[in-house]
Amino acid sequence: MKASPARTRRWVTAALSVLALTAVAACGGNNGSSGSSSGSADKADLTWSFWVAGSEDQAAWQKVADQAHTDHTGITVKLQGAPWDSYWSKIGTTLAGGKAPCIIGMQSLRMASYASAMLPLDDLMKKYGMKAEDFDKPIMDGLKADGKQIAIPYDSGPMVIFYNKDMFKAAGVPDPKPGWTMDEFKAAAKKLTAAGKTGLVTTPGDLGTMSWIRTMTGAEPLADGKLNFTDSKFEQGFSQYADFVKTDKIAPQVPGGNPDFETQQFTGGKAAMQLNGPWSLIDTKGKVKFDLGIAPIPAGPDGSKTYTAGSGFGISRSCKTPDAAFQAIMSMTSVKPLTTLAEAGRAYPSRTVAHPAWFTAAGIDGAKETIDYASENSIPLVTSKNWVQVADLLNRFGTQALNGEIPPDQALKTIQDQAGAGS
Amino acid sequence: MATDTTVAPPGAPAGAPRAGRRPALRRDGRYASVFLAPSLAGLALFTLFPTAMALGISLFDWPVFGERSFLGFGNYSHLLHDPVFRRVVLNTVLFVVLYVPLNVVVSLGLAVWLGPQIKGRQVFRVLFFIPVMTPMVANVMVWRLLFQPGGLIDGGLQSWFGIDAPNFLGSSNWAMPAIVAMSIWQGFGYNFLVFSAAIDQVPQSQLESAQIDGAGPLQRFRYITWPMITPSMFFATTLTLITSFQVFAQPFILTQGGPGVATQTIVMYVYNQGWQFLQMGLASAAGWVLFVIIMGITAVQFVGQKRWVNYDV
Repeated sequence: MKASPARTRRWVTAALSVLALTAVAACGGNNGSSGSSSGSADKADLTWSFWVAGSEDQAAWQKVADQAHTDHTGITVKLQGAPWDSYWSKIGTTLAGGKAPCIIGMQSLRMASYASAMLPLDDLMKKYGMKAEDFDKPIMDGLKADGKQIAIPYDSGPMVIFYNKDMFKAAGVPDPKPGWTMDEFKAAAKKLTAAGKTGLVTTPGDLGTMSWIRTMTGAEPLADGKLNFTDSKFEQGFSQYADFVKTDKIAPQVPGGNPDFETQQFTGGKAAMQLNGPWSLIDTKGKVKFDLGIAPIPAGPDGSKTYTAGSGFGISRSCKTPDAAFQAIMSMTSVKPLTTLAEAGRAYPSRTVAHPAWFTAAGIDGAKETIDYASENSIPLVTSKNWVQVADLLNRFGTQALNGEIPPDQALKTIQDQAGAGS
Repeated sequence: MATDTTVAPPGAPAGAPRAGRRPALRRDGRYASVFLAPSLAGLALFTLFPTAMALGISLFDWPVFGERSFLGFGNYSHLLHDPVFRRVVLNTVLFVVLYVPLNVVVSLGLAVWLGPQIKGRQVFRVLFFIPVMTPMVANVMVWRLLFQPGGLIDGGLQSWFGIDAPNFLGSSNWAMPAIVAMSIWQGFGYNFLVFSAAIDQVPQSQLESAQIDGAGPLQRFRYITWPMITPSMFFATTLTLITSFQVFAQPFILTQGGPGVATQTIVMYVYNQGWQFLQMGLASAAGWVLFVIIMGITAVQFVGQKRWVNYDV
């Protein structure tokens, strides 16, 4: 039987399909023995996935990783860096695929989404004698999911006000002190708003917005683990926050989707105050051309209340040598590397012992007083599993609410409708 | 490739040449298959397989973490009833409707204006093409500095005229026009080059004889240049339409789809659902909706081209 052209085509198609499928199978079959780890409790080659901003950042963090090798000669940790934004999409797929590196960088606000793919560390902490008391409590709690410790923090920090001392002096406004009230804050901000400059700069970012709402009305974003945006106290707090832009006009209109807007306005000397975390303090000080001060968030009816956020390192469930990975994490969050990071001004350290080194590096009068005060008045911002979506919706509809395009309670209702209960 | 064997031997009966040609064609076909195999395998592996896979995933509730469950057309019905997705589709169509005609008008206008008689046109061509080559992210960052409150436009208007510019990226009414303006600046250079090359192919002699016969510039364009550049027009509009339905980077960086959902596009929705909110099923369904829309519109364009595209020249 002779092959007709049509028959040949069919054969070729079939052959190519087989070829393609084999190739797919080959790719799929490579289930990561090249992955992240091999070895025992004291001997392993580990991979550590973390967000890094560039090659200089990569080198600095690799030094943190090298601490593990210094402490345990059998263990080596190799840093696999990725930029912040792509880090989360990458880590999501590798965790879901069960091929993630052993050590995973984790931020407190995003942890709820990823916790199910991470190994709870409580047993390992007990086994290797790691004490939770050596770390700042709010951030240790912030890295827990369902009461289990998911990651060990390297940094932490309560939200505080950064302010431009030169602008305060020029406007004849006294420097804010711990305990200053919302009325004092508003009066100062009004006085500072003049000649194209504003007293404050805001955006609908999650951490900032939640901190303002908490200090103004005490309302929290979750109640019993469910999203609570339509609660009347929460609406009231958000409405007062939107008023900074909408009616008080002590903060400029918000551009859509520019997460750097606050920092740009503040460091550029166009806004006298912004709410920020200590992790940005030393970097900000290096950028600005004015005298930088920090103060706690103004006190609402129940005092000054703020949120803490931070990041740490955890272990993926797919890790074959959790013991070695935990020992590496212990080394990476030990006093020495955290002190080195603090001296370099990278992050406000999660360990109480390393704080003095950071305050020396910051070199800002009253910084210790302010941050200690804010820490005492802060709790971790516990988030829902779909917090990334909630934060995205808050940015979108919050911008409209702050700029006065839609009523604040309508923005919150839309967010709640879109995000659901948040679990 | 082995063409000599296809020549019929002299004096062969009438049917013979065909019989002789067929095995050779088969051989050609086989050779062609071998040469095409790598790219076909690539196409199958990196395009057809993922597309089919996405169709499969779109029928499931497929979170990145946790249990997957079969939904049938549940994701599609969710999209249909989701006011946000409806708005997202509308935004994408709005972008296409604003962007494609403006892009064609600007690039064709400049290509006609910079005709062969203009001196230094090569320099202009390079200048106009620069935004196409520079990274989109860098372009968008610069435009963000222009658009934002206290930015270059706002600051300029305040210091010269004492008035505030609109909050381009923070206002639901201004955000989309701002994105379209930025996109046109960024993207017209490509079509401009295509049209420029097409206009250069129009024979000068024809234009000159038309001029001698008394045809004005508009008539010369309408009856000589236009018919000759229609294939390029078809190419440019089809490609521009397809790529503008896939718009992502500009709204993603300029406004992150906000304020509200005023500038969120379908690809951004797919990206957010899949990579930010880790809902692969919904993301795949939205991706397929976009695929069907683009296929449909491209098909209409190909059918419609018979009416206006002129390949006879």
